[in-house]
Amino acid sequence: MKISDMVAKRTRRLLKGVARSAAVELERLRSIPGTPEELNFFYDVLEAAYVRNDPAPMLDARPDKDLFVGVYCMVVPEELIYAAGAIPVRLCAGCFESSQIGEDRVPRDGCPLVKSSMGLSMQKGLKVFDLCDIVAIPTTCDAKRKLGEELSAFKEVWMIETPHIKDADFSRRIWMEQMYALKAKLETVKRNGTRGKRINARRMAAAIQDTARAQAEMRRLLSLRSAEKPLIWGRQATAVVNAFAYAHVNRWTEAVTRLNNRLAAMAENDQPMADSGRPRIYIAGSPSLFPNLKIPTLVEEMGGVVVADESCAGDRYLYDPVGSTEKNLNDQMLGVASRYLAPCVCPSFTPNDDRLTLIQRMITDFAVDGVLYHVLKGCVVYDFEVNRVENALRNNQIPLLRVETDYNPEDVEQLRTRIEAFIEMLKSKRSRTKQAVS
Amino acid sequence: MSQTYFAGIDAGSTYVKAALMDENQALVAFDQRPTGIDADGTSQKMIAAMAEANGIPADHIQNIIATGYSRRIISMARDTVTEIKAHARGAAWSAPNSIGIRTVIDIGGQDSKVIVLDGDNEILNFAMNDKCAAGTGRFLESLARVLELDISELGPLSLQSNMPLSINSTCVVFAESEVVSLVARKKKREDIVAGIHHSLAKRIAAMARKAGAQPGILLTGGGGRNAGIASALDEALLMDIHVPEYPQLNGALGAALIGMTED
Repeated sequence: MKISDMVAKRTRRLLKGVARSAAVELERLRSIPGTPEELNFFYDVLEAAYVRNDPAPMLDARPDKDLFVGVYCMVVPEELIYAAGAIPVRLCAGCFESSQIGEDRVPRDGCPLVKSSMGLSMQKGLKVFDLCDIVAIPTTCDAKRKLGEELSAFKEVWMIETPHIKDADFSRRIWMEQMYALKAKLETVKRNGTRGKRINARRMAAAIQDTARAQAEMRRLLSLRSAEKPLIWGRQATAVVNAFAYAHVNRWTEAVTRLNNRLAAMAENDQPMADSGRPRIYIAGSPSLFPNLKIPTLVEEMGGVVVADESCAGDRYLYDPVGSTEKNLNDQMLGVASRYLAPCVCPSFTPNDDRLTLIQRMITDFAVDGVLYHVLKGCVVYDFEVNRVENALRNNQIPLLRVETDYNPEDVEQLRTRIEAFIEMLKSKRSRTKQAVS
Repeated sequence: MSQTYFAGIDAGSTYVKAALMDENQALVAFDQRPTGIDADGTSQKMIAAMAEANGIPADHIQNIIATGYSRRIISMARDTVTEIKAHARGAAWSAPNSIGIRTVIDIGGQDSKVIVLDGDNEILNFAMNDKCAAGTGRFLESLARVLELDISELGPLSLQSNMPLSINSTCVVFAESEVVSLVARKKKREDIVAGIHHSLAKRIAAMARKAGAQPGILLTGGGGRNAGIASALDEALLMDIHVPEYPQLNGALGAALIGMTED
């Protein structure tokens, strides 16, 4: 057998495996009783990316003409990419199948997210990865830094030096320099005769406005999720935000607007998705990325409801808007740069007390009963902060359960027992509090 | 007037345990059998046998609650609870001499857990071992096999040791080869066994400290039947370890008590 045939066969196997896991997860989401039809758009986006392997229509893009820029983490400004006339695609992956392939280049103790993305880049075939002409990777954590280096064997990689002491003056200078360097790079990316457009104030204003609309709808979704009677399941909301990675910003915004209108109507007519007796769970720590929705799914199957999370691929992704009042490019660049660095509470930054403040505020705003602390194996920085978070929560008397897992489904039953016990514990705490009040 | 009885079934990874209680919380009967491949069938037989031996008509047994690893396949059960909740609930009943229990350490066949309770026997926190046999009954079972001992012999034997050896591997497979090499070096079996218990106790003590264990410790599960573990845990935690009369039954008792009081 020729080598090219073997590669083709391996690719077919990977794509088949990825498509099957994604289809199973989508089926699980679609079969949730009472699913409003407004969620279908997001499921279709994920299906286009992972099951049908035809993401271009959802990205409003022409695969042979447009420029695609792959991004990692939530600190790469997508506004700049849109302003250069290119399409951003977030490549932080959640596929177990590809994480096994990625292990050829990522050490065993590396995180599954990096392994999974590595695998999908190495073994060509999945279009959301193959379409990208260049990949922009910030130097947030160790794994992302080394991912960039390894990926450069397969792709053009643009590293973005991310300062880790956010509040320092030198960090702001470094970051601004990096933003301008990225801008210059995007303006010169070429493919089949297409070139990145010159980023000017008009194009930036449009991109900032489009993204701001998405952020505003995201905050509206969050405020709807704070309702006493849950209007949407956490795993559904996770899929909504995950879909942002593979959809054009404006189409995504329209779909979230429709969803929010529907949820508002459900609230108005007192038709909640779940009853208010369920313990309200906040998921802290590592992100849940489609199709690995293991953690929110287990929480909700075992009797809880995920009301919010602090994930960089979840509720934190699209929270903060860009503050720019002047319509000149410098001011826009400053606004965009600040929005992506200052409010990010990724534990790769230090000091990171902002994160504790954020979590405590969310706990209060969402009337949270318990925190599920999700550690993806190998994500050392999130694991480092678990004690600080637990101590901070002790003052609020909010219990925390730490679970460490990866994309392998083999530990689901062990996790299920712990999560079920955690929820039982929260339920009995709730009923005691109620008794004490009455 | 006919009596009402309550049953709890703890379908664990290794054994199914069943407890039958009357409405005054007195233990009427109990049974335990290897889980085998049909936990559901095994538990049906156990309930039927307990009922018959005590002359109780089957319909007088109410609200059967199942717990343990295979709890979801027990068809007789009206409801299921996690092992954590069942053990927490059983603690006050099982506690010898009415000692106030603030921490339950359960060493089962496939996992170990630490459950911290408040003064009202409500769960404050809990911890379980990760997906690995280290610190579980399975760890002891495989090492007993290497030493050609029955698991019930481990406890008494280890108490004869004056100088426990150190077993450093927490992984069952590596610990096995460590034990094999100690046997080859003609080390005393009681010292090896005591070393195994200390290694297990150290691992569980670390988990217990992390979970915030409080004095008033109850040792349950199969591990509670091994006096060597109780003594090693006592040393590792520097706290008194209390062992109930039926350590393995604690989960099933807890389940029965839950069936009695919750509807």
